[in-house]
Amino acid sequence: MNVDVINRRAAIRRLLFIAGGTLLLPACYRQSGKTTIELNHLVIEEEQEDLLAELVETIIPSSDTPGGKELLLHLFVLKMVDDCHSPEDQEAFITGLSTFSTYSRELMGQDFMKLAVDKRLVFLESLKEVENEEVKRFYGITKRRTIQGYTNSKYVMTDLKKYELVPGRYNGYFKMT
Amino acid sequence: MANLNIDSVKTRTFDAIVIGSGASGGWAAKEFTEKGLKTLVLERGRDVVHVKDYPTTNLYPYELEHRNEITYADKQANPIANRCYAYREDTKHFFVKDEEHPYIQEKDFDWIRGYQVGGKSLLWARQTQRWSAYDFEGPARDGFAIDWPIRYQDIDPWYSYVERFVGIAGNKDGLYTLPDGDFLPGYPLNAVEDYFRQSVHKNFKGRHVISARCAHLSEPQPIHIQQGRVKCQNRVLCQRGCPFGGYFSSNASTIPWAQKTGNLTLRPHSVVHSILYDQESGKANGVKVIDTESLEEIDFFANVIFVNASALNTNLILLNSKSDRFPEGLGNDNGLMGKYIAFHNYTARISAEYDGLLEYRTDGRNPAGGGYIPNFRNVDRQETDFLRGWAATFGAGRSPIRDTDGVGDGLKKELLHDSKWSNWRVHSHMMGETIPKEENRVWLDTGKTDKWGIPLLHIDVDYAEDDWLRRKDYYQQMTSMFEAAGFTNIRTQDDGRRPGNDIHEMGGVRMGHDPKTSLLNKWNQLHLCKNVYVTDGACMTSTATQNPTLTYMALTARAVDHAVKSLKSGEL
Repeated sequence: MNVDVINRRAAIRRLLFIAGGTLLLPACYRQSGKTTIELNHLVIEEEQEDLLAELVETIIPSSDTPGGKELLLHLFVLKMVDDCHSPEDQEAFITGLSTFSTYSRELMGQDFMKLAVDKRLVFLESLKEVENEEVKRFYGITKRRTIQGYTNSKYVMTDLKKYELVPGRYNGYFKMT
Repeated sequence: MANLNIDSVKTRTFDAIVIGSGASGGWAAKEFTEKGLKTLVLERGRDVVHVKDYPTTNLYPYELEHRNEITYADKQANPIANRCYAYREDTKHFFVKDEEHPYIQEKDFDWIRGYQVGGKSLLWARQTQRWSAYDFEGPARDGFAIDWPIRYQDIDPWYSYVERFVGIAGNKDGLYTLPDGDFLPGYPLNAVEDYFRQSVHKNFKGRHVISARCAHLSEPQPIHIQQGRVKCQNRVLCQRGCPFGGYFSSNASTIPWAQKTGNLTLRPHSVVHSILYDQESGKANGVKVIDTESLEEIDFFANVIFVNASALNTNLILLNSKSDRFPEGLGNDNGLMGKYIAFHNYTARISAEYDGLLEYRTDGRNPAGGGYIPNFRNVDRQETDFLRGWAATFGAGRSPIRDTDGVGDGLKKELLHDSKWSNWRVHSHMMGETIPKEENRVWLDTGKTDKWGIPLLHIDVDYAEDDWLRRKDYYQQMTSMFEAAGFTNIRTQDDGRRPGNDIHEMGGVRMGHDPKTSLLNKWNQLHLCKNVYVTDGACMTSTATQNPTLTYMALTARAVDHAVKSLKSGEL
């Protein structure tokens, strides 16, 4: 069994962990160059998934706490786009994702994957003024879903900002410090 | 008919039949079974057992596949259900999907339904206000619809009776337009809601902001503990079903209570086709049911029948209960059944900001939702160009300010901080009375049926001119009240809500004194078929501004009391 498969399985275990144990199911162990999760609408290649993983990691980098890639936010983005977005959004997302590297080459002289972290940040900053509609929409959707996935992740809700199911509290005159 | 042998008839015969297991049907079941009557409750949907059948109740946000969002495919398939504020990933299994139960919209009408044991009592907003004398006297005083055959004092003791069992959190506010009840401690207003209360009190005579009254156990009493319910935990995830029984639902309260008596037979998967009328006795003697699993047609028999199928379905069942004596529907000699459908006008919202009291924020969650502004319009005298009035919610809150413009470490910090908070944002929505009109009506299609062969319902209900005048008044009055409190950035908003989406559909089988102009008498009996009672929203003669469920429950308890006494005295 090669290392990639082992890593993949570790990732899947973690994925099940973040998704609550029942939700995202692996389509395969990446023998076919396809994505890690089963998708109904999007057709995503392995390298596109890898690119997306680097992108969410750039948006939410790991520091002394986990970042986007470790929290599998790229898979969350794919899941949400696949299930919760319109066909038009999905088309723009796929086109934008495909154009993303070309755009990076044009602007930064290199593929996004090959850029150093600081250059990646510069590139994302420059996307605020991007004119390419698909890239703009792809990036907008990805960023919004990454933020949502992060703030609603088990890790953040357990370790960083505790979500209290019970007992709830209510104080209408909570004094700010 | 399925089977006519005598033993089978015996097993299909009860003292009472209740159609529907929502808030009012659950109350009918509780009252009948407590009084010793063998009672059959028919529910068209599946069973939902308290706690056991609440699959999402203890899920954390990250355990919901789409983080509580509805999928695109679901939105496309169920535009009606999706327009309900409470339709989410964690609750959608309790809502009727559009294609499962079609109806015919003559005009846009969102019919929001919950077909299961407990009905919409699992899903309701739990706001519980008594009607006042002003409300019951409304039609007679202002000359619309017809006079209610009851007055506030007729229902007052039944409100208390129901409130004690249900558990209503509220304060004694001493208001004529919103009588006090038998309350558990109310949930306090937050800093800005309380500030607005004082400002309104000071600047506007006769207007009040109070803590919203709601069916939550703020301090459970022995009667609630006996039901197996405990204190509300402020989760505010109510529509998932509450494992604590912290809010009232049939599932947590009346149904298990009725089951404990040993007198209840609960039959899910039982769509009522019609009520059977016996020409000889001049009474109804049972109901025809279609078992949705076996598709078998089965008749059940009883001395008294309560129709609590939810307002429009109650209309449907009665209209479909045709006999030689009643070719236009049971008790419908005057042809008024299905007419005078009314609802609440929820189309208006207003929001603003407040930059005072920034030393405070709300911590945690308030199950009551915040404040309530009882109607103050046209109370002592007619003062506007529309009849009757409106009530409103009022809430205030703050949220962390997060600049999500950047990426990287800076963004990460922004998403986690707890230090920068917005100004207070205040918001309100209108709950307007609507005037019942004959042209707002429902009727049965003559050809199209559902999958059980029951005619589809046409719904022809719309707003009227006075609804827009009322809304204009709401915008104006709320704006001046907001301005007086120093709120800024005031914005009014038509939320485009369709009739029905208030989920307070009422009428069609209205109560009244006179069999010529009404269907039900003052005890909720059909004038022309006295052992059939209607005590859900269909019985309503007018709508008032209050959330109606508490009134349905009180009317039900009162009607069961009457039915049992009448059975004993031989009148029924």
